[in-house]
Amino acid sequence: MHRISPLILAFVFVPFAIEAVWVFWPALQGFWLALTNWDGLTAPKFVGFGNFHDMVTDPIFRTALKNTAIWLVLFGGLSVIGGFGMALLLQKERRGVGIYRAALFTPVVFSLVVTALIWRVFYQPDGLVDSVLRGVGLGNFVRPWLADPDTALYAVILPALWRQIGYVMVLYLAGLKAVDPALYEAARVDGASAWQRTRYVTIPQLKGVNSVVLSVIVIDSLRSFDIVWSMTKGGPYHSSELLSTYMYSTAFQSTQLGYASAIAVVIFLLALAVILGYLIRAFREET
Amino acid sequence: MAGLAADRRTFLKGLGMLGAAALVPGCATSTTNSSGSSGSASGELSLQSNLSAEQAKAAMEKLVEAYGKTGGKVKLNTVASEIFRTQLPTYLTSANPPDVYTWYAGSVANSYAKKDLLLDVTSVWDGMKNYPQSMQTLSTGENGQKIFVPTSYYWWGMFYRKSNFAKWGVTPPKTWEEFLAVCKTIQGKGVPPIGIGLGDTPWVASAWFDYLNIRINGAPFHRQLLAGEGRFDDPKVKAVFTKWKEALPYFDPKGKSFPFQEATSALLGGKTGMFLIGTFFADSAPKDALDDIDFFQFPIIDPSVPVAEEAPTDGYFASKKAKDPEAVEKFLAWLATAEAQEIYVKNSSGTVIPANPDGKAADTPLVRKGKAMVQDAKELTQFFNRDSSDALQPTADAALTKFLDKPHQIDQILKDWQAAAEKVFKA
Repeated sequence: MHRISPLILAFVFVPFAIEAVWVFWPALQGFWLALTNWDGLTAPKFVGFGNFHDMVTDPIFRTALKNTAIWLVLFGGLSVIGGFGMALLLQKERRGVGIYRAALFTPVVFSLVVTALIWRVFYQPDGLVDSVLRGVGLGNFVRPWLADPDTALYAVILPALWRQIGYVMVLYLAGLKAVDPALYEAARVDGASAWQRTRYVTIPQLKGVNSVVLSVIVIDSLRSFDIVWSMTKGGPYHSSELLSTYMYSTAFQSTQLGYASAIAVVIFLLALAVILGYLIRAFREET
Repeated sequence: MAGLAADRRTFLKGLGMLGAAALVPGCATSTTNSSGSSGSASGELSLQSNLSAEQAKAAMEKLVEAYGKTGGKVKLNTVASEIFRTQLPTYLTSANPPDVYTWYAGSVANSYAKKDLLLDVTSVWDGMKNYPQSMQTLSTGENGQKIFVPTSYYWWGMFYRKSNFAKWGVTPPKTWEEFLAVCKTIQGKGVPPIGIGLGDTPWVASAWFDYLNIRINGAPFHRQLLAGEGRFDDPKVKAVFTKWKEALPYFDPKGKSFPFQEATSALLGGKTGMFLIGTFFADSAPKDALDDIDFFQFPIIDPSVPVAEEAPTDGYFASKKAKDPEAVEKFLAWLATAEAQEIYVKNSSGTVIPANPDGKAADTPLVRKGKAMVQDAKELTQFFNRDSSDALQPTADAALTKFLDKPHQIDQILKDWQAAAEKVFKA
């Protein structure tokens, strides 16, 4: 039996202690604050589950919940499909393929706030989007993209996707590289078409990558905040509100920190439910 | 390039968000405070300023420099306005807060005073006997202590370009009917008559609500409503929106998408006819365009209602935990002098009026007219958030932008507004 070196113990416990002070303790406080009414200045007032009760009848909360679901499906779904599609297209080593890969990956390098700035310029009245639409004779579709409650959310999803697809593509490219070429050879010898090779060789081989992509997507969807906040602040009149932006604005603009903490608890539970759900399924498949 | 200014702000805001996110959990329940005697040895005061527009910031630097010449040491820290607003509670409740802050008089300062976060500056007021009674009242907390030192005020009005009005052959209207007629004429020239900027600054719409309410229901009703003593689904409030509806066809539809700074550019570029805004818009306007700018008073709707104007007062308050209260009081007393206020006026866009009655405002026809309008008013209001609270402002933003978009849903909008407001008052 080895004695564990104090240095190694330090590597475990020092970060843990820091984490405990800066992450776990505030998180626990968040649970407590969710049961109070607090304006951030005076002492919190205990209200039990009052905040959660208010949430049920709060139309803005319901919009935010619905939008978060839309975000999860559209942003999550499309970035997987798009990223996988791009990876398939760009997996073969050809001349110049590196340029295309780099081009698709570049948006990931920019901060989302900067991305939002650029896209806002596109969307502004008489901006690029409007000019293009007018140029191709679709002037009827011109609208205040970020200020129209019917389009604001989707206008924000687009730049978020533009960025995420490159990221997911890189994950899949790495996965595709790991597939044994002999499998394709064998499939080809058996007379499998390109589609069949993708369906029966590539996709099953990517199972490991899929689980990584799924967790990345779910976490990224639920924590999406910066791009929405920089582009619309959840507006106009809460129509592009996500749970995260609603939590922020209730906390720091309306200074209802108790209610905001309650929203944070809901976000936490949602994330937990999705991830636990996935883990349970994964374990079942293992056994 | 029009979006650049807005873009930089949004970027800064993003940074601020990260800052806020990092700070807040740490102080979550630390409302107990240290004695605050951690005093820095240098004796330098810290001044937290939200005046981040270029000209205003430069003027603040000049001001601090001038105070330096009198022997006082002040370190100026300029923070973008939006960040300042969201961080202010964090500043004030932190263990080692900045000493002096630029901010607003009235209920905004009061709400902090009520929580015992502001320094009692009654002694500073001993040297401010020449200030009008209205300013004193505005700067006094509920327990009778003075909590605020006003240094300037400005006015809201319908701003327009003189040359454009001449070109379109219209003259400033006095009544609502005349106003609608002017709108119609300007629209006939192919220009959206009324500019607005709700993109990043939806609170601009509150000016319309404030003015219509004080013109139709009077200032006392308006103040009661904002203090939570009325209801937003009251038929009297609905009357405000019924009137507003008459002007809706004349609003610039693009105004939904950009902030007030770009609405200012639109006005100056002749892309809109008029703009209901406070004089602070001039801070982001080129100085040469200002000579062509004029304004008229918000039209009179019911002549039997005493005329009120929006004249927000700006100034300073200090943290209760200021390290060196004596130095703070000395600095505030200096800021209250006519001399200091003139330094600010001279170096900024010059559209604010010194709060000290002996201070000289910029001697332009525009400022003379603004000052006269405020002085003739029977009642003064501050602005929506200053008469109510920063927490109530987002409820107004949602309700008013929705009304501008979907006026036919007004009953539901007012019901939702009332519900949202109740939640704020309860918190």
